[in-house]
Amino acid sequence: MQQNELDRQLSQIRDRLTGIDRKADNRIFLPCESEHVYEVCRFLFSELGLRFVISTGIDAQDCFEVLHHFSDDESGCVVTVKAFIRDREVPELDSITPLIPGAEWIEREMHDLLGIRFRNHPNLQRLILADDWPEGVYPLRKEVQT
Amino acid sequence: MSIVNHQSSIINRLQLWSLKKSVWVFHVNTGACNNCDIEIVNLLTPKFDVERFGIKLVGSPRHADALLVTGVGTRQAAKCLQEVYRQTAKPCVVFCMGACACGTGIFEGAYHVAGPVDNIIREVDPNAIIAYVPGCPPKPQAMIMGVVKALSALQPKEKYATERVGQTVVADPG
Amino acid sequence: MTDALQDLSWILIFPGFVFTLAVGLLASWLVRKVSALVQYRVGPPVYQPVADVMKLMGKEILIPQDAQRTVFVLAPLAGFSGVLLLSTMLWLATARITYVGDIVVAIYLMVLPSLALILGSSASGSPHAAVGASREMKLVLGYELPLVLALLVVIIKTAGLVEPGEQLSLAAISRHAPVLSISGLLAFIVALLCVQAKLGFVPFDIAESETEVASGVMIEYSGALLAVWRLMQAMMLVALPLFLVVVFLGGIDLSGWSLLWGIGKYVLVLVLVILIKNTNPRVRIDQAMRFFWHYCGTALAAAVILAMVGNYYGIAWL
Repeated sequence: MQQNELDRQLSQIRDRLTGIDRKADNRIFLPCESEHVYEVCRFLFSELGLRFVISTGIDAQDCFEVLHHFSDDESGCVVTVKAFIRDREVPELDSITPLIPGAEWIEREMHDLLGIRFRNHPNLQRLILADDWPEGVYPLRKEVQT
Repeated sequence: MSIVNHQSSIINRLQLWSLKKSVWVFHVNTGACNNCDIEIVNLLTPKFDVERFGIKLVGSPRHADALLVTGVGTRQAAKCLQEVYRQTAKPCVVFCMGACACGTGIFEGAYHVAGPVDNIIREVDPNAIIAYVPGCPPKPQAMIMGVVKALSALQPKEKYATERVGQTVVADPG
Repeated sequence: MTDALQDLSWILIFPGFVFTLAVGLLASWLVRKVSALVQYRVGPPVYQPVADVMKLMGKEILIPQDAQRTVFVLAPLAGFSGVLLLSTMLWLATARITYVGDIVVAIYLMVLPSLALILGSSASGSPHAAVGASREMKLVLGYELPLVLALLVVIIKTAGLVEPGEQLSLAAISRHAPVLSISGLLAFIVALLCVQAKLGFVPFDIAESETEVASGVMIEYSGALLAVWRLMQAMMLVALPLFLVVVFLGGIDLSGWSLLWGIGKYVLVLVLVILIKNTNPRVRIDQAMRFFWHYCGTALAAAVILAMVGNYYGIAWL
């Protein structure tokens, strides 16, 4: 859909987000708090019909960030939902796997490497770390030295 | 380096000659980014024609004389690489292809690295014969030169005054 | 005593072990050289197969723990000896030293290398080898019947041509060239493809496919045992095209210029095998079985009918 059309559609869930950032012609960021992630993604996936691309996990110093990227194939625009997890001791987030089965493995990878626990995930087990890697050590966290 | 275990004799020299003239390679990837793997597969195409050196790609490590190892040794792959090395019929040569295999390359100090390939192999066999072909990725021409140099450096045992255990061999062009 | 000594020298030196081995290594070099030339590259030097075998002799023999040791070690030797006897017998047949029923013996001996391959890989104790063994079994089921039927066509054609009182043996068959007739040509083409499968060449190298099952049948063999398998394959390169020449193309006449013509026929069959090898991809096992049973079987049924009709009415070119 065109740029104006996409902006109009996104304003429907404006109340769930803390902002709409259009960084470039084909790049939109939707920062939101961790409680609203599932609803926003459901809106983008089911109602707007965007395609789920991949997720990213970031260890920002004071919080964790989980980004879910969706692509609008008609206009070539990538819409990114940016969820902030404020609690660094017990980082938890709602899993979008019940909605999008293709997100299962990327959430397992984020759990392995950053330690974020995804609620309602059907199979949150070790995916890419070695079998003899110690439990509870998350290598991509900033405080872990190797 | 000690490659044959008895006194120099006509059988000994024939064994060494035939090993140099007919090298069957087996390709092992221990966690590479696939760049070196692509170059190895390029090497084995008709364009570079390594069959004239007697080099042939085989599908089983038991048939192989040379292991072309790419990739920094990840923790998961280290055990598999040791198993593959034990299954390779001796005498055999291990070629570390690429910067990651020679000495961890850009993955120095990363969490998933179990040591560069030569440390992994030396855990199993301290007397292993290991050759290094650096590059990221090494060009097929560089790989050919590495293989030819390493093969021409093979000597029967008594050419050396003492046994050199665990030392790398640098082919001496002089 | 001298008879036994003569037989032993036939088997061991000429035309048996030493001679077939030398010709076999030369033939396997020819296969690699022609394949290289077809691919616009330089191939290996002449001594390459010799270097391969010598290198394999110098490597250690690793026997897996789960393998059945006796069968594992004896299988390559059994296949090797089968091919050796086949080659000796065929060369003696071209020298007109033959006996009744040697066609049947030839068919039996031709199965022996494939059977040894199946036994050896089944005894390897590895799932890859088991897959390779099952594929080889299915392939043998596929091509044995067309091979025997092709021989049947040849026997029908030559049965009408032998003089009364002469036994129908390989020497008698090799006096005629059945390929110069329609049914004979059909049978020759089918037999050529069956020989391609028996030699384990593309498009039928399903059992020892390197990329699919990590060289299935021979995956656990190393050292001297692998050398015996390679020697067996080299000697099959002598025996099987020679079999085709003797049965279809009129044999090798061991006198003067006809000898060169005979050797030329053998090289022609070998080059045909190499060209088919280089211009085709590998087929799946179900495609191979369908090919042998449906297409070759139909072609051979037509060939048998044509041969019988030609025999009955005395038409030579049917």
